[in-house]
Amino acid sequence: MFKNEEMEINMGPQHPSTHGVLRLKLKLDGEVVTQCRPVIGYLHRGVEKICENKTFFQGQVWTDRMDYTSAVANNLGWAEAVEKLFGVTVPRRAQYIRTMLTEFNRLASHLIWLATHALDIGAMTVFLYTFREREAILDLFEAFCGARLTTTAFRIGGLREDLPPGFEKMVRTFLARFPDCIEEYESLLTENRIWKKRTIGIGKLSAEDAIAMGVTGPVLRAAGVAYDIRKAFPYAAYAEMDFEIPTRTEADTYARYQVRLAEMRQSTRIIQQCLDGLPEGPVMAKLPKVLRSEVNEVYHPTECPKGELGYYLVGEKGSTNPYRFHVRAPGFINLQALPMMVKGSLVADVIATIGTLDVVLGEIDR
Amino acid sequence: MQTMTLSQTCAMAILQAVAVVIFIFIVVPLTTFAERKVLGYLQDRLGATRIAGSRNGLTGALNRGMWWMGKVPMLSILRGLPMFIGDIVKLLTKEDIIPDKADRAIFIIAPALSMIASVVVFAAISFYPGALFTFPKFVPIVGGLPFSGFITDMNVGLLFILGIASVGVYGIVLGAWASNSKYPLLGGLRSAAQIVSYEVPLTLSLLVPVVLAGSLNFNEMTRMVATRMPIWAVPLLFVGFFVYFTCGFAETNRIPFDMPEAENELVAGFHTEYSGMKFGFFYLAEYINMIVVSALASAFFLGGPFLLPFGLQSFVPAATPFIGGPNVIWFLLKIFFLLFTFIWVRGTIPRYRYDQIMAIAWKYLIPFTLVDVALAAAVRFYMA
Repeated sequence: MFKNEEMEINMGPQHPSTHGVLRLKLKLDGEVVTQCRPVIGYLHRGVEKICENKTFFQGQVWTDRMDYTSAVANNLGWAEAVEKLFGVTVPRRAQYIRTMLTEFNRLASHLIWLATHALDIGAMTVFLYTFREREAILDLFEAFCGARLTTTAFRIGGLREDLPPGFEKMVRTFLARFPDCIEEYESLLTENRIWKKRTIGIGKLSAEDAIAMGVTGPVLRAAGVAYDIRKAFPYAAYAEMDFEIPTRTEADTYARYQVRLAEMRQSTRIIQQCLDGLPEGPVMAKLPKVLRSEVNEVYHPTECPKGELGYYLVGEKGSTNPYRFHVRAPGFINLQALPMMVKGSLVADVIATIGTLDVVLGEIDR
Repeated sequence: MQTMTLSQTCAMAILQAVAVVIFIFIVVPLTTFAERKVLGYLQDRLGATRIAGSRNGLTGALNRGMWWMGKVPMLSILRGLPMFIGDIVKLLTKEDIIPDKADRAIFIIAPALSMIASVVVFAAISFYPGALFTFPKFVPIVGGLPFSGFITDMNVGLLFILGIASVGVYGIVLGAWASNSKYPLLGGLRSAAQIVSYEVPLTLSLLVPVVLAGSLNFNEMTRMVATRMPIWAVPLLFVGFFVYFTCGFAETNRIPFDMPEAENELVAGFHTEYSGMKFGFFYLAEYINMIVVSALASAFFLGGPFLLPFGLQSFVPAATPFIGGPNVIWFLLKIFFLLFTFIWVRGTIPRYRYDQIMAIAWKYLIPFTLVDVALAAAVRFYMA
């Protein structure tokens, strides 16, 4: 008597909470999602191909534009991958400064994640509170390298400039203030009944599924797997730092929220250690004017705020460009777990799950 | 009271209706302005401080004026005030798009239905149980007549209010359906289910003052609830107020119950396809509904024009100067405080999920109010 039909709905590419130009084809039975197919590529610029036609020095500029919320972390991966390819040793002071700025970038990225995630669930005030602190971090980047978003902060072989005068004081002021700010966000969300109802048990992804899907970063750690490249394969100055890997076992959206907040606390610890133990010395290694590679290949993973960011570079004999360049973008690989996580949930949970995966389309589409 | 001729009655009714409409159209834009500013200050920013326009002319002069106001501590809060006129001008001058595949007639009627339903409710709302002032003798037609604080004094005022207010949901559902688009459809379905569910605890919670006062007449209820309550009624009214106000959030589609328009899920919900003044009507209806909910909550639970809420006024001797009797100022202050609460809540808490909202209504609010009503009946029995 009644016709029963599933409704297909396009969420995105223009939708307030698909974090850019992500498009989801959802099949809905009432409000229940029966199928979800992400469609990507709206922001494709061909970064990998472009970098093959640029010199190693020029390529770094393009890494800023992949995950634009964590440009410094992307720069670090590129710089270290190229240094690995050429066997360059970076001075210790530069390593420390790189570590410090990368951790600041982790804070900035997590702050954006918290802001948009909370806004998607309807808590709009957190958005502006986190942007207040992110502003202070961007001011630090600006003081260091002149740019705020697309920083191109590091050079191959070290840093272009040492820290500017007054930088240390800015960092100390920020560190004195920031733990209270995390408390402030937590006071709005952590024990909020609505927040808990919207996040506990939502978007579950078990450790087995996460590993099978190649998911990394806070999403994996919230499933109880303590895999962090900063500990597993230390790079920059992380081997000398004392910090913990926060994990949870619930594997839901709330657990990921707690993991990321704990990571922000750990990042402040690392920044504090970098600042206190900052060694003296040069910040740039001796490098030839032009880098010409041998036949060689290198894969360098780093722990980006979103997960494992790997750069795969192949060198060609005598060439100033990489022969082949590939990025293992954490957002791209994490996104493939989305259909699994949202199947059978409600439309509102899809939004919460996109938020918790912390997708940035610049990096997914490249 | 002297008997009025037919023409006097008509003139009086029109004057009062106009006064109420003017009141609405002053308070609604002020609420939107307050929403910008209160949210702004809650979120550590300034809110609106200037309006769009050119360097010269009126907008330029206003912007320069507001720039100067920024230097004066108290006045700086009022910057951005001209924006509420700007809002209306924008809505009126914007292109009004009707989608090709929409059902034109219903698409046009729906916003009007929402708007009319929310304005007409004011016919039965009493701001003050008596004459606000008397027209001087020289005024034609209405000279010498009192201007009362209410339009009509219906015996079943509360029923009228509830009946008309529930027509408003038709505007939302029809508008959503007529848009012939997917996101509005989801929003419309949500709102139909949500508002029908929340009508139940809303009406039940209003039964508490009805039972306690033994009347459906607006003025009578307000007076009885404020001044003739035994001490046992105070906690019951307190609970009733919270249930009513919670349902009020759902009825007005405000966060945390803004399912029908949940902007982060459904783009804009039921009014996704609306633009121009048709959207403006939905927008105004939401704010007018906020005023209605605040007015009813303050009248039936917070003592209306009397100072003390929840029947506590019963313990103040009526002869006390200033706070003993009714005063329209108290009523307006209570309305404004509740409007502020709407904004305050929006700035503080996230949004519930659709099924959780339904669970709250059916699992918690309805049983809660049923017990409350039963206890109110017991108190009433004891009073009589």
